[in-house]
Amino acid sequence: MSDEGGPGTITVASRLAGFMRGGGVLIPLVTAFLAFLVGGLVVAAAGANPIDTYEAIFEGSGLNWLFPWVTGDDRTLAALNLQQTLILTTPLILTGLAVAFAFRAGLFNIGGQGQYLVGTFAAVYVGSSLEGTPAFLHVVLAIVAGSLAGALWAGIAGLLKATTGANEVVSTIMLNWTAVYLGSYLFTLGGPLHSDDPAAASIPVSPDIHESARLPVFWGDPELQGLHIGIFIALVAAILFWVLLNRSVTGYEVRAVGFNPDAAEYAGISAGRNYVKVMLICGLLAGLAGTLDVLGWQFRVATNDIQVSQTGYYGIAVALLGRNTAFGTVAAALLFGALLNGTSVRNLDPAVFDPQLATNLTWIIQGLIVLFVSAPVLITYLSPGRLRRRFRRRPAEARAG
Amino acid sequence: MHALLGENGAGKSTLMNVLYGLLQPDEGEIILRGERVHIGSPREAIGMRIGMVHQHFMLIPVMTVAENVVLASEPRKGALLDVDAAEQRVHELSERFGLAVDPRAYVEDIGVGQQQRVEILRVLHRGADVLILDEPTAVLTAQETAELFKVLRALTAEGVSVIFISHKLREVLEIADRVTVLRRGSKIDTVDTEGATEASLAKLMVGRDVLFRVEKDAASAGEPLLEIKDLEVEDDRGLPAVRGLSLQVRAGEIVGVAGVDGNGQSELVEAITGLRAPHGGHIRVAGTDVTGGGVQGALAAGVGHIAEDRHRRGLVLDFSLAENLALREYRRPPLSRFGLLSPKRMEQQARPLLEQYDVRGGRPETTAGSLSGGNQQKVVIARELAEEPRVTIAAQPTRGLDVGAIEFVHRRLLEQRDAGRGVLLVSLELEEIRSLSDRVLVIYEGRIVAELAPDVSDEELGVAMLGGKVRA
Amino acid sequence: MSTTRDAPAATAAGMPPTRGSRLRARLARVSRAAWLGWAGVALGVLAFYITLPPLLLRTIVPSLVLAAAGIGLAVVALRAGEKRVGWGAVVACVAGAFGAYGAVRSGEANLERVVVWSALLAAALRYATPLTFAALGGVTSERSGVVNIGLEGMMLTGAFFGAWGADITSSWVGGVVIGLAAGAVMGLLHAVFSVTLRADQIVSGTAINFLALGITGFLFVKAYGTEGTPDDLPEIPNVELPIGWIPFIGEGLEQLNLLVWVSLICVAALSLFLFRTPRGLRLRSVGEHPLAADTAGISPIRLRYYAVTASGAFAALGGVFLSIGFVHSFSQNMTAGQGFIGLAAVIFGKWKPGGALAAALLFGFSSALAQRLPVFSPTGAVLFQALPYVLTLIALAGLVGRSRPPAADGIPYERH
Repeated sequence: MSDEGGPGTITVASRLAGFMRGGGVLIPLVTAFLAFLVGGLVVAAAGANPIDTYEAIFEGSGLNWLFPWVTGDDRTLAALNLQQTLILTTPLILTGLAVAFAFRAGLFNIGGQGQYLVGTFAAVYVGSSLEGTPAFLHVVLAIVAGSLAGALWAGIAGLLKATTGANEVVSTIMLNWTAVYLGSYLFTLGGPLHSDDPAAASIPVSPDIHESARLPVFWGDPELQGLHIGIFIALVAAILFWVLLNRSVTGYEVRAVGFNPDAAEYAGISAGRNYVKVMLICGLLAGLAGTLDVLGWQFRVATNDIQVSQTGYYGIAVALLGRNTAFGTVAAALLFGALLNGTSVRNLDPAVFDPQLATNLTWIIQGLIVLFVSAPVLITYLSPGRLRRRFRRRPAEARAG
Repeated sequence: MHALLGENGAGKSTLMNVLYGLLQPDEGEIILRGERVHIGSPREAIGMRIGMVHQHFMLIPVMTVAENVVLASEPRKGALLDVDAAEQRVHELSERFGLAVDPRAYVEDIGVGQQQRVEILRVLHRGADVLILDEPTAVLTAQETAELFKVLRALTAEGVSVIFISHKLREVLEIADRVTVLRRGSKIDTVDTEGATEASLAKLMVGRDVLFRVEKDAASAGEPLLEIKDLEVEDDRGLPAVRGLSLQVRAGEIVGVAGVDGNGQSELVEAITGLRAPHGGHIRVAGTDVTGGGVQGALAAGVGHIAEDRHRRGLVLDFSLAENLALREYRRPPLSRFGLLSPKRMEQQARPLLEQYDVRGGRPETTAGSLSGGNQQKVVIARELAEEPRVTIAAQPTRGLDVGAIEFVHRRLLEQRDAGRGVLLVSLELEEIRSLSDRVLVIYEGRIVAELAPDVSDEELGVAMLGGKVRA
Repeated sequence: MSTTRDAPAATAAGMPPTRGSRLRARLARVSRAAWLGWAGVALGVLAFYITLPPLLLRTIVPSLVLAAAGIGLAVVALRAGEKRVGWGAVVACVAGAFGAYGAVRSGEANLERVVVWSALLAAALRYATPLTFAALGGVTSERSGVVNIGLEGMMLTGAFFGAWGADITSSWVGGVVIGLAAGAVMGLLHAVFSVTLRADQIVSGTAINFLALGITGFLFVKAYGTEGTPDDLPEIPNVELPIGWIPFIGEGLEQLNLLVWVSLICVAALSLFLFRTPRGLRLRSVGEHPLAADTAGISPIRLRYYAVTASGAFAALGGVFLSIGFVHSFSQNMTAGQGFIGLAAVIFGKWKPGGALAAALLFGFSSALAQRLPVFSPTGAVLFQALPYVLTLIALAGLVGRSRPPAADGIPYERH
C-alpha cells in the first residue's frame, strides 16, 4: 500500500465522495436495512425468531420511550433503558467523528480504540488525583488531560505518516494494541497507577475518581447510572466538527487533501502537515470519548474493561454509516447505541435470544454495513433509479493521461 | 501503411481499441482477411495476429525488456520460465527488424524511444501481421521518428500491415500510403497520400479552412518579469533534471519552451511555481527572489500556473466550481476571515468569473468532475488569470482539448501578453509554440540550448531539440 | 543503497549479469561506508551478545568498548551519507549497550533460564508461523494488486473452523481442510468486493475483520457455549528430527510442529512461483500494470480472484496452526492482531516471501522474548507483551524506509 501520491492518487475520501454526495439519507437507510435484514437471517439460522429478537432489542434500547402510548411501568423501564442507550451513544458519537474526520482527509483512522483508551487513562489519573479541586475545574482539567492524551497518541501515527509515509492503518492498529498492554500494565497489581484502596488490593483496577470530577447527571437517578451531561458535550463536538470541516480554512484544506493531494499541493497546502493536524484532532475526539465515559459513569478503569472495550472500533461503522458527516454520525451513533444496549446481557431476555450470540450479531451487522459501504456500486444498484443517475460522474477523462 | 488521421476526440483510438478487443462495438462488423470476425478481448485479437502499440506504453517498468516482450507467451523450461530463451528471442527479433535494445535492461531505466521498440518487439513476438500504432511519434525526437519510420518500412516490406494513428499531418504525408480521415466518430474520406497536401488533409479533418497561425499584434517587450539564472533542479529520483538553466520572460511577451518530453520541462515548471525546491540558481519574479519560497511564495510574487494535468494538479474534481476557483485565494479576505470560510462569498466571486470565461455546464455549486475537459480547463484558466498574475506559466494548456477550446485558451494567453504581462509557454505541440510565441527557447537535457524565432524551419528546430548546433 | 530493486541496471554496468553474479554485483555496489555501517550494527549486537549465555560476561566494560567502536563506525558511515545504515548502527549500539547493562545487572540464574538459545529459537519459530502464513497471504494478494487488510479476519476464521473441523471430523487433517476452505471462502468474499465491485479495499478488508469476529464468535457460542472447545481437540502433530547434535540450533529444531515446516516450505515455494515461473510473472504484471497485462491477453480479474482467494487460504492456515497446532483451543478474537503484524511483515519484507519470513521471525523472536522476560519483572510482564507491536511500529517508520509496493496495489481495475 503506497502512501506516496502517484499519478492521480486515489484516496479513500475521493472514492467515498460519490457515496457521500448522492442519495441523502436514503442510502444509509438502505444500507442499514440490508444489514439488519441479513442479520435477521442469521438469527433465524440460529433457531430464533428474528421479529421477536429485533423487538426485544428495540425494547431493550429504550427507544420505545419516544412513543407516547407507552405508559406506566413500561414507560419507567423504557426511560431507564433510553438513558443507558444515550450513555452508550455519547462516546460513539465522538469515536465516530474521530474516524469520519480522518476519512474526509483521506486517512483511515482505525486507531480510535487506542486513542479512546489513553483518554481513559489520563482522565482517571487526573480525576483520582488533585483532591480538593473545585468540581468545575476538576472536570475541565480531566477533560483537557484525556483529550490531549488521545490527541498525542494519534499524533504519533500522523507524524509517522507525514515524515516517513508509514501507512496509518497498520500504525494505528499497532498503537491500539500498545495502548491495551500499556493500560494493563498501568493498572495491574503492583503497577504504577494501581489503586491504593485496600478493598481493591487483589483487583487490577485504578483508583476511583473523586466526586468533584464526576459529570453531573441530568436525567434519571445518579445511583442508577442516569444520563450525564456528556451527551451535550458530544453533540457540541459534532456541531464544531461540522463548522470546522465546512466553514473553516482548516476544513477546506483537509477536504482538499482528502480529495486530491496533488491539487492541494499545487495550492500550497502541505499534505504532511495536514495529516498531523487531522490525526491530532481525531485523537482529541476519541480521547474525549474515553474521558466522558470515565467521568460520566465508569469512574474507574479496570484492566478487564480495557481488554474488553470495543468503543473505538464501533466508531468505524458509525462513521461509515453516517457517511462521514456530522449529522449522519450522530444518527448512526444513536442506532448503534440502541443496538448495543438492546443486546446487552442486562436487557436482552435469554429466552428470546442469547445475549452472547447477540453481541456477535452486532459485529456481523457492523461488518455488513462496512462491507456494503465499501462498494457503493452495490447500494446504488439496489437503489431507486433516480438516485443512480445522481451517482454517475463524468468518466474520468484522460485519468490515464 | 495506412494512416488514421483526426483531431483529438475524433474517435481514432476508440476505433482501434475495438479492433484490438478492448472495446465492443454496438453495431457494424469487422472483416479480417476476408472473414467476418468478432474480437471479444485482446487475447482474441492477439490470436488473430493483430498487435497494438498504445500511446501510453503498456510496459511494466520494474521488469526487464525480455520479461515484457515474452509476457503471456513465455518460453518454458519445465515448469519454470526460461529466461535465456526469452533473451535469445529478443535478440533474434532485434536483429531481424533493426530494433536494437538490451534484453536485460529494466524498462524504467531505458529511454522512451527504446521503450517504444520494446513495445513493437512485444507485438512481433506474438506473431502479429497487423500492427496498430497509436500516436507513436508523440514522444519521439525527430531522429527517433526517422528511425521508427525505417523500421516500419522494413515491416511493410515483410508483409506486415501497419495502421498508423496520428494527428500530425506532415508525418502522415511522409510515411503513409493511404489516409483515412475521421471527424467526430465518422469516416470522412480515404485518400491516397500521393497528391494530398497538409492543407487538403487539414480541411478534411476540421471541415473548414484552417488558419495555421493565430493573428497577433507585433510584440513590444518591456522589462523582465521572470528571470531565471543557473537553475538546478533534481527530479523525483534525485537525478539532475535542470542543469544550470537560464532564461528571461519580459513584460508583454510570450516565451515558448520547446523540447522533447523528459528534458526537464516539468521540473522547471515545478521549480518556478514553488512545487519543487531548486538545488542551485535563482528565480526572480519582477525583482522578488522566489527561489525555494514554496507555492505560497510564488503566489505572493504573482506567478500564475496553468498546470499540465488539470485532473491531477489543476482541479479538485470533487469540489464545486466555487471551491475550485477559490483554491489559491481561500486563505485571504474576503473569502476567509479569522480562519473561517464564507461559502457565500466564494460563490459571489465565482459567478462573474464563470460568465467571463464562458464556462458552460455548471454553476458555482456544480462539481468540477461533471464538466467537460474544455470547460474544466476554462475554470483553471479563470482562476489563474483572474488574479492578473505578473507571469503565467502555461504547461500543456491545450492538451486533450477540441479546436474551439484551444482557440479560447490561445486567445486568453495572447490577452495576457497584450496587457503587458508575461507568459512562459511550455508545450509539446510545436504548432502551438510557433503560433503563440514571440521567442522560442529550446530545452535539452535541462538547459536552454537555443533561442530561435518562431518561424524558424522545422529542421533547425528539430536539430536544436536534439541538442545539435544551430547556425546562428 | 536507496534502490529497492534486486539487480542493477544492466545497461549501466555494461556487463549483463547472470543469475549468480547478480548477487556479486549487488554486493559490489554497496559502498565502503555502508560496509562500515553494517559492521557498526554487528558490533552493537555483539556488545549485547557477550553478556548473555553462553559467554555471560559479568562486567559491562567490554560491551561499552564494542558499542563505542560501533558508534564510531556509524559516524563514519553517516558522514559518508549512508543515513539509514548509519542510524541503524547507532540504534543497535545504544540498544546493545542498554541490553548489556540490563544483562549484567540481572541474576545469572535468571539469564541462564531465559536465554536458552535453542528454546528461544523453537519458540520464535512457533510464534512466527502464524505471522508467516499471514504474510504469505499478504504477499500473494498484494502482488496481484489487491490490498488485503482482512488477513486478521481470515486468520481468525481459519482458527475457528480449524478447531471446529478437527472436532467434528475427529482428525486434525479434517480441521486443516475445513479451516483452509473457510479461509478461501473469506478470501473469495474479499475478491468479489474488491475486484468485481471495485470496493475500497481497505474498507472492505476491515469489514471482513468485523464479519469474521462476529461469525466465529457466533458459531463458537452456538457450538460450544460457555465451556469452550473440548480438551481433547485433535492436534497437529510435531515432526521429530534427529538433528539435536547440531550446536546452537539443533535442539531448537528437533521437535517442531508440522505446520512450522510447512510454512517454511511454502515460503520457498511461493518465492519460486512468483519469480521463476511464467504464471508468477503474469501475476506480478497484474499487480504492477493491469492494463498492460490485459492488453497482453492476460485476465487481471481472473488472476486477482485466484490470488485473493489463495491469500485467504494462507492466512487461514496460520489461524489453523494457532488453534490446533499451538494453543490447542479456540477463544473469541484469539488472533489478537497477528494478522496485522503479518501485514507489517509484508511491508517490512518488501513484498517478497523471503523478506516477509525474516520479518516474521524477528517479530516471533520478540514475542518469544516477551513471554520469558516476566522472569525479571512480574509487573513489567504485561508491558513486554506490547513489544511485538512497538517493534512493528518502529519497523514501519524507520528501518524499512520507503519501500515500493506493486505499482497497481490497491487500485481497482477497470478497462477504460
